[in-house]
Amino acid sequence: MQTTASPSLPAAQQTASVRAPGPARPYGRYLYLAINIAILVFLLAPIAIVVVFALNPTPFIQFPPVGVSLRWFEKFFASRDFMHALGFSLEVAVLTTLSATALGASAALALARGNLPGARLIVATMLSPLMLPAILTGLALFQTYVLLDVGRPTWGLVAGHTLVTLPYVVRTTLAVLHNFDLRLEEAAQNLGASPVRTFFEVTLPLIKPGVLAGAIFAFIVSFDQFPVSLFLVSPGNETLPVTLFNYLKFDLDGTIGAASVVSIVLAFVVVIGLDRTVGLRSYVKL
Amino acid sequence: MMKALGPLSRRRFLTASASLGIGTIAAPYVARADDPTLRITGWGGKWGDIMKAEIGPAFESEFKCKLQTDSAFPYLPKLQASSRSAPIYDVLHTNSNEQWAAAEMGLIEPKIDPKLVPNLADVYPYAISDKIVGVSIFTSAIGLGMRTDKGYSGVTSWKDLWDAKYNGVRGGYVIPVNSLGQAFLMMCGTLFGKGQTDLDAAYAALEKLKPIKIVDFTGAMEKMLLSGEVGMCVIHDSGIYRYDGQNQPTDFVSPSEGVLSLEQVLTITPGSKMKELANAYVNYMLRPEVQKRLAETVWYSPANKKVKLDAKYDAKLLTTPEKVSKLIQVDWKWYNERKDEIDQRVNRIFRA
Amino acid sequence: MSASIEIAGVSKVYDGGVRAVDAVAMDVRQGEFFSLLGPSGCGKTTTLRMIAGFETPSSGAIRVDGADITHVPAHKRDMGMVFQNYALFPHRTVAENVAFGLRMRGLDKATIAAKVKAALAMVELSGLEDRRPAQLSGGQQQRVALARAIVIAPRVLLCDEPLGALDKKLRQQMQFELKQLQKKLGLTLVFVTHDQEEALAMSDRIAVMNGGRVEQVGTPTEIYNQPTTRFVADFIGDTNIFRGERVGPNLDVGKGLILALPPSEMQGTGVLSVALRPEKIRLIPRAESAAAGSSAHGIVENTNFLGGAVLYRVELAGGHRVLVQQPNAGTSRLFVPGNGVTLEWTPADLVVLKD
Repeated sequence: MQTTASPSLPAAQQTASVRAPGPARPYGRYLYLAINIAILVFLLAPIAIVVVFALNPTPFIQFPPVGVSLRWFEKFFASRDFMHALGFSLEVAVLTTLSATALGASAALALARGNLPGARLIVATMLSPLMLPAILTGLALFQTYVLLDVGRPTWGLVAGHTLVTLPYVVRTTLAVLHNFDLRLEEAAQNLGASPVRTFFEVTLPLIKPGVLAGAIFAFIVSFDQFPVSLFLVSPGNETLPVTLFNYLKFDLDGTIGAASVVSIVLAFVVVIGLDRTVGLRSYVKL
Repeated sequence: MMKALGPLSRRRFLTASASLGIGTIAAPYVARADDPTLRITGWGGKWGDIMKAEIGPAFESEFKCKLQTDSAFPYLPKLQASSRSAPIYDVLHTNSNEQWAAAEMGLIEPKIDPKLVPNLADVYPYAISDKIVGVSIFTSAIGLGMRTDKGYSGVTSWKDLWDAKYNGVRGGYVIPVNSLGQAFLMMCGTLFGKGQTDLDAAYAALEKLKPIKIVDFTGAMEKMLLSGEVGMCVIHDSGIYRYDGQNQPTDFVSPSEGVLSLEQVLTITPGSKMKELANAYVNYMLRPEVQKRLAETVWYSPANKKVKLDAKYDAKLLTTPEKVSKLIQVDWKWYNERKDEIDQRVNRIFRA
Repeated sequence: MSASIEIAGVSKVYDGGVRAVDAVAMDVRQGEFFSLLGPSGCGKTTTLRMIAGFETPSSGAIRVDGADITHVPAHKRDMGMVFQNYALFPHRTVAENVAFGLRMRGLDKATIAAKVKAALAMVELSGLEDRRPAQLSGGQQQRVALARAIVIAPRVLLCDEPLGALDKKLRQQMQFELKQLQKKLGLTLVFVTHDQEEALAMSDRIAVMNGGRVEQVGTPTEIYNQPTTRFVADFIGDTNIFRGERVGPNLDVGKGLILALPPSEMQGTGVLSVALRPEKIRLIPRAESAAAGSSAHGIVENTNFLGGAVLYRVELAGGHRVLVQQPNAGTSRLFVPGNGVTLEWTPADLVVLKD
């Protein structure tokens, strides 16, 4: 490649191409590696600490760990409160994922296709729970439920979670719809597919990666949701994060770590499972 | 078992006995959908465990009701957000400072009627003093926690905490969010100034406590003491005694100037539709056998004078008028009125 | 069985008053290769989309074999369509793409398999059944699109610039193959293109469109030799257009140039435009005299060597610039810029245009 810099190239690019074969390169490469390793460590260190905490037999964080024990996992799995909270969190996360995905994907379709007046305003409104501190969303919903005198039912919690997970589904679905070639739907109709059939045969499979990505976000955000749940959980039906927080106030031991490890593994399993069953990988290219 | 029934509960008891036959009373009680529900708040941890396993069900069975315990914080904002005429709790259980905040907002009734809660006659004076709204059913003593394996000795006074040899291993709290920290701040005024309300003396004393490790939750302080990260700290006695029998190298010191009280307070909400049941619950929690069971589970000092604890507990908890007289109560009403100002000031002290 | 199409006074007005198609009327006969030709924005694609059912006419009617289908939804029209950029389903294999229309018609698996196989064989794609569209070349994708459209034996095949994305050589080959296939199957085919050469080469008849209107409908030779409007004359191939005032049997186009009008146009008065194709003019070395009305003197301004022919631009004495195309008759007979020349033509070759 010629390195004679053409005058139209931006300055940075010129230096880069001129310098490329020079001796400065290895240093840049080491720096690049070092920065990446630092970022990885920064991202993974909390998980590592949680795992160490969960496996260390002492009831407090200790370095170096004095041994490996599963006592906190035993305690976690033996606790009816934690098991109930885990089950309830999963239930809420699944219901939230279903409702947020159905609503979010339909809303995104309507917004992208419907030629709605004020579509931008609607999008902004739908994304607004992301801007608002979630604790306020929780408090506001709590007050609404109190005013309506409906108590704190599970559907109320799911509605709250749906509200804060909807933006993810809308966003990811809109993103795939943005690049969607409408002629594909016309081609299907031209070949005799009714609008409903066209949706299931062509539209849905093609927007699936976006919908699925949104669904995964919805699941994780719901499963980990604390601020919205804080006000909306009812006595005896607390989600895992709320239970963990309350537990933390009285017993700061490795059970917290064990619960976190279980949560991480579970979230991971769900993501992989969704990926495998519903399948992201069959689409080599869009 | 039945001796301390209130008027309503006795009536309910009789009706129930008549309709069901005496034989069914002893059977475990399964709450029915149309049973009245008493909504209360409560702690988690060991307290929550025993309430859920024994004490709660026994209450439900005796009073033919359902006990719905919210152990998810924060209670006060939830109570505040719900309607005054239909509050989400009937009985509020928190530490004293929060009860004072609730009282200021009119969320709770400041006094409990001794006629409706007969056991109130048997409590130590501190439990219904003018520093308390509602009734304190238990208290912990806030004093000093220390490692016994580091050669620290001769600790008798709060002022020992200021000894330079604890630099680096001294433990305290984030005062704006922790009752123990707040009570300790008032103690500083007493120790170095004209009294609890001498804030300037307290601020100066706090300034001199640095370097100090500060945490939000009391549980975190327990762990730091257990792990040896902290050698001497402000802590409540139950936070040390609960590890009794585990041979931990930690101990609790009651300073000669007195211990601060950390009360477990019950109050009733004005809008409650279950007033009689609520009073029955407060009365029930003050029963000697209930007090004994809870005290020996979580190492809280019972408020009822008539409680006789097992020797091991009796030795350490505040179970006699003499021991109780060492309790120093904090004027939370006064404190809460200045909370914002104090928060700002202590944040500045510990940020620097 | 292929069908005829009747487009009766169809208009399409979009929100905001844009008149994309304006009172278009034409008939497509059964088994005919019919092209809609025009520049972009002329309304040809909108017209095709109305035939396909993707757009509803604002007024007018579309009939297939006499039956009004104006408001029949697209999926019930039984028409095949080949889209610009093909619109193949990216999540399906070649075979699944071709089978799609058959599945929608509820055929059994064996029948579908047989028909797909035959269709792929027809477009010479046997063996690529399990590929995905992204793994195919542009030409192969084009064939899949074609196979997918014809496998359902549509009453009408619609093609929207189907060859636009192919390079020139492949494009010519596909033009040929498509034409062959259309003849073999007896398909009624409506073909949208902006490429006049393509339209001339393939079509039985062409409708030239401009500004939402049909300028002229006719066979390729009619369109080329007898354009009826100035737009058609100008859009199809190179041409010289003169505009002037009738003076008896002649047209005075200014700058001293007088053209004798063809015999059929000698009557009348007023302003008139005429077209004269470059190849209808003969170029000879400067003659002593020129016949008034059918010849003129000029100087070669520049030349454009086309291989089989040479295109000259000649500046006439009065200042008019005229394009002249001559067969390549050998190096010694070619003119170079600066040569003085004489242009001769037959008045009958002048085509009178409507404005």
